Amino acid sequence: MTTEPIKQPRRGLHLGDRFRALPKPARIAAIVVGIALLYVLPLKGFYENLGFPIPVGSGYLPFYTTGSDMANVLFQCGYYILLALGLNVVLGYAGLLDLGFFGFFAVGAYTVALLTSPDSKLITEYNWLESPWPWLVTVPIGVSLALLSGVLLGWPTLRLRGDYLAIVTLGFAEIIRIVAKNQDWILNGDRGIPSVAHPPGTWSDGSPVFGILDWSPYYWLVLTVIIAVIFLIRNLANSRVGRAWIAIREDEDAAELMGVPTFKFKLWAFAIGAAVGGLSGTLWAGQANFVNSATFSLENSILVLAAVVLGGAGSIGGAILGGFLVIYLPEWLRSVGDVFGWPHSVDVFGIFRLDTSPTSLRFIIFGALLIVVMIYRPQGLWPNRRRAAELKDRQKEVAPVE
Amino acid sequence: MLLEIDDITLHYGRIQALHGISLHVNEGEVVALIGANGAGKSTIMRAISGLRAVSRGAIRFQGEDISKVRADLRVARGICQAPEGRGVFPGMTVQENLEMGAYIRRDHAAVAKDMERVFGLFPRLLERRKQAGGTLSGGEQQMLAVGRALMARPKLLLLDEPSMGLAPMIIQQIFTIITEINQQGTTVLLVEQNAQQALSRAHRAYVLETGNIVKEGTGSDLLHDPAVKAAYLGVA
Repeated sequence: MTTEPIKQPRRGLHLGDRFRALPKPARIAAIVVGIALLYVLPLKGFYENLGFPIPVGSGYLPFYTTGSDMANVLFQCGYYILLALGLNVVLGYAGLLDLGFFGFFAVGAYTVALLTSPDSKLITEYNWLESPWPWLVTVPIGVSLALLSGVLLGWPTLRLRGDYLAIVTLGFAEIIRIVAKNQDWILNGDRGIPSVAHPPGTWSDGSPVFGILDWSPYYWLVLTVIIAVIFLIRNLANSRVGRAWIAIREDEDAAELMGVPTFKFKLWAFAIGAAVGGLSGTLWAGQANFVNSATFSLENSILVLAAVVLGGAGSIGGAILGGFLVIYLPEWLRSVGDVFGWPHSVDVFGIFRLDTSPTSLRFIIFGALLIVVMIYRPQGLWPNRRRAAELKDRQKEVAPVE
Repeated sequence: MLLEIDDITLHYGRIQALHGISLHVNEGEVVALIGANGAGKSTIMRAISGLRAVSRGAIRFQGEDISKVRADLRVARGICQAPEGRGVFPGMTVQENLEMGAYIRRDHAAVAKDMERVFGLFPRLLERRKQAGGTLSGGEQQMLAVGRALMARPKLLLLDEPSMGLAPMIIQQIFTIITEINQQGTTVLLVEQNAQQALSRAHRAYVLETGNIVKEGTGSDLLHDPAVKAAYLGVA
């Protein structure tokens, strides 16, 4: 008895398939051109040469850029993309719902702040350091500490599954945030740590590359780091480790029965994700100059989670798209709103002013957007095909299709 | 003796699921565990494969007590289970599922050969090779689960309810293949509700009731035992 293999129905543009069908030199050329394009994005001259007007102060609808400094927005997108890439390893590959992911970002940021600031209590009160360290030296330390905290958090909690893990990680993140806010002996609570060092380097005229006015170098730095991280994660995902992660995500018991040391690999995913999150924190601190306990805010964890789910868990492209959207969209909406005269705040009966700027409303916007996406495209905007198949399989279990 | 279970008990929280189970499996045998729902059949499987820890007692595999050994290391020692409810990886293709079965192995040439062997046993899987596991029919998923377990090249193959939810014709097929696998040299311990099939295929069998073994004997003895007939075979 032979039957035709069932054709799996597929919709959409299949850009990925079309891209893979190209000959190798064409693919490499496309990637190189694409990357070069990303590097020139913050330059005003790029838009002028394309014939686009610069929207600042003008009445044009800024469909390609935002009212604020493009490099600034791109840098923020950059470190969120990095965060989303990190959480994607934990959530997308290994299937572990970590609601406290931003904590690792804070570990990276605080490490840089404590070691590079002349006002750090490590120097002023405890004399552990004689003088502040340069930024570059503290980056590997921050990443290592984030990795270590990932292991420390994962060791007891990864024995739990699903929702239980989510609750415990959420609790941990809140404990850390509250401790950081209230204790005074090292992290300095809300007052925070000022004068955090910038990355090194000077232009030929002696001015620093990583200054305060021009954000472009920070963007280029984070972009370079993102490319390196993508390269590493892709290799990892295609290895034995990656296959073990997929197996754990799809059916943890079955994975164990196939001889996969599930706990070890879950811990690996947690630690690697944490390290990438910490790396993002060190880059951010290098720009921000000031770190305080507001860095730990739960909103940020949720925003990163929204980025990964919106983009499509388990897909690197999805993490990039999601990380980009959660930062870029509010910025863009704000400049669109400015053009149409959307108020930044509304006076409510003279009692209080309601903040109506798109940045403040972003959680409402993303909430609505997420609901719409989850209904019409539960696998995310740029899904991983395998993940989409799993989702369909689970849907069948929850609500059998007639 | 390949596997010897010596007086094990097991608890789910405060509920005791196994009350001092002892059984053994000799090399080259097909041994069946039969019993009603909730008798503890699957729990014994989980204890052997290491998904659940026993509270007391020993599980000896080739003479070594493995009751404290991690599940993934038991696979390395030669125990592989096809889980209950099939448990195939839904997003992986049939081929990738089979490759996962050989996860612990590094001898790639032999793995490729074993895959040919599995495709020989289950030609249907060859037709479906590039298809996602979750899109297969119930019978195909069961074949895939058994095939995947074989890819680990186990000394002892544990089959948890291989006939669950399948049409009678497919059940026949699956059991024929189990016999074939056994004749090719793999020892099989299987849990079944389909007592008729299980007893007629097995060398020996144990009857389980509420966490206790109440009877044991050769397959044909139990097949003709009046009490077993009444309780499990639906014949008075």
